[in-house]
Amino acid sequence: MHDISLETLSNWSKLGHRTAIGETLFLLGKENSKVYVATADLTPTARLTHFLDAFPDRFFDVGIAEQNLIDFTAGMAKEGLLTFAVGLAAFIPMRCAEQMRINMGYMNLNVKAIGIEAGVRFGPLGNTHFAMDDIAVARTIPNMTVLAPSDPLSIYKAVYAAANHSGPVYIRLTGAPGFPILYPDDFEFVIGRAIEYKKGRDIAIISTGSVLAAAIGAADLLEAQGISVRVIDMHTIKPLDTAILDRVFAENRLILTVEEHSNIGGLGSAVAEYKAGIDQTPRQIICGLGDSFKKVGSYDFQMQASGLTAVELANVAMANLR
Amino acid sequence: MNQNEAIPFIQEKAAAMRRDCIEMGYSAGNHGAHFGPALSCIEVVASLFFGVMNHNPQVPSMANRDRFVLSKGHACLAYYAALVEAGYFAREVMYTFKHDNSYLSGHPICHPEYGLEVASGSLGNGFAVACGMAMAGKVKKESHNVYCILGDGECDEGLVWEAAMNAAKNELDNLIAVVDRNSFQLAGKTHEIMNLNLEAIWKAFGWDVQMVADGNDVQSVLTALNEMKNSKSGRPHVIIAKTLKGKGVSFMENNLAWHAAPLSKINYEQAVTELDAQQVGGQSNA
Repeated sequence: MHDISLETLSNWSKLGHRTAIGETLFLLGKENSKVYVATADLTPTARLTHFLDAFPDRFFDVGIAEQNLIDFTAGMAKEGLLTFAVGLAAFIPMRCAEQMRINMGYMNLNVKAIGIEAGVRFGPLGNTHFAMDDIAVARTIPNMTVLAPSDPLSIYKAVYAAANHSGPVYIRLTGAPGFPILYPDDFEFVIGRAIEYKKGRDIAIISTGSVLAAAIGAADLLEAQGISVRVIDMHTIKPLDTAILDRVFAENRLILTVEEHSNIGGLGSAVAEYKAGIDQTPRQIICGLGDSFKKVGSYDFQMQASGLTAVELANVAMANLR
Repeated sequence: MNQNEAIPFIQEKAAAMRRDCIEMGYSAGNHGAHFGPALSCIEVVASLFFGVMNHNPQVPSMANRDRFVLSKGHACLAYYAALVEAGYFAREVMYTFKHDNSYLSGHPICHPEYGLEVASGSLGNGFAVACGMAMAGKVKKESHNVYCILGDGECDEGLVWEAAMNAAKNELDNLIAVVDRNSFQLAGKTHEIMNLNLEAIWKAFGWDVQMVADGNDVQSVLTALNEMKNSKSGRPHVIIAKTLKGKGVSFMENNLAWHAAPLSKINYEQAVTELDAQQVGGQSNA
């Protein structure tokens, strides 16, 4: 249950995932006085001003220092505080991968690391500010839970689920201003349990993050041509929901994994790793950002160039359905 | 115990710890051990565990315990020796150092029941975590201190300075760091590899700095630690303790070859003979 109105969700949708995360942390902080937030110079960027103004004693800015952001929050977590570390996904986890490995992984400390602006939304800023590899880095760390919510309400739900989960979590956030509401109604968000967004027999599109909207769009296009498409929101990349994958392997003829992430090491890889050990599974097409640095360009340009649009995903599905 | 009574007690513990380091390192066989960087900081570790810190081996996770983080985790022999002498784990455990399935790895793991607070050895990391622990102490209005030992070579790591500036910003005067200034790092002398004016740099980062000319002299170390322990200056504290790498074993002293190496039977016997001859009152704790 939650008390987020549709009006609030619409506002978060309009303003993008930064507002969703900033406001969610504020709401969580209001409910739970044991919640602490630290950031690396992203207070306005991650819309944390509301939290800072309301709870200045529970807010820390470590400066532009992502390695220390993780260690500082890890030290607080070691002493029993519930700490959220918020940074740009371009730098969390890549810049502080080792700090995450030792403190969140090896010591299993209860740090919740949040990477905003994952993927290629910073298109015009160039590749230094893209996070095409963050899932790959985070999910190779033992003990780490990796979440990628898809819309305003699922961001809220993911943060609350992370807060209630004992252990380290990395949450990657995508979704530009205007990212659509995919969950207008309350729903259950359980870490490690994917959501079957839509049932279907022929193709299964398994998506993670806000690109779910394109996956749903592709499903609609395919359905219009008489192809039955199952859509799965794999909001938890680790631990992977293998039970739902078992059903997909048994019931669908083609799998598309869809992610705003490198084709190497992300959701597609996670699904393929599991699939590799099972006989007679359907073919899988990994639809991601490929394995290349990108030309500069708008977010729409980036998604178009990588084929992460409803039309392109539907085309890939059609071309591969036998 | 006042300071005058404490000094011979700590000296005795330090002597026993040095002997433990040799026993542990020798039991690691061909895996070898980081003897030099452990032996240099023995007096600092002994002073903390047996003269300064509030802790209880019977209740390792006691809420109001002072926290100890060995950021220069490769010096774990000194840490394990203190824990053995304090009674955190049995002496037999000591002889499992670096053995299969042992809790005593070449860099400390996080194992609170053994008094092992933080997994360390990735340089810079333990110190930065210690800063977060000190922050938590402030936030929770707890009265304990956080003590952390860094290597002088470790101060090359950028993360040390990310954490140092943040500790000063947050006025963590419950944090007392000690830099084990033994003037060597893995590949050579610190002044040849990266010549840092540690006193000036730590001061510039907003820390209270105290120089200890002989970090292997218990009285000097204890005096500095007690002074900083009681200081509420609003600034974090660092003691830069000039020490002797490999202190106590003649062939290891100031000898980079003993930064990390296996100990042969002949060398073991020589080390033991020398250390036993140095024992306070001629007593052996082996």
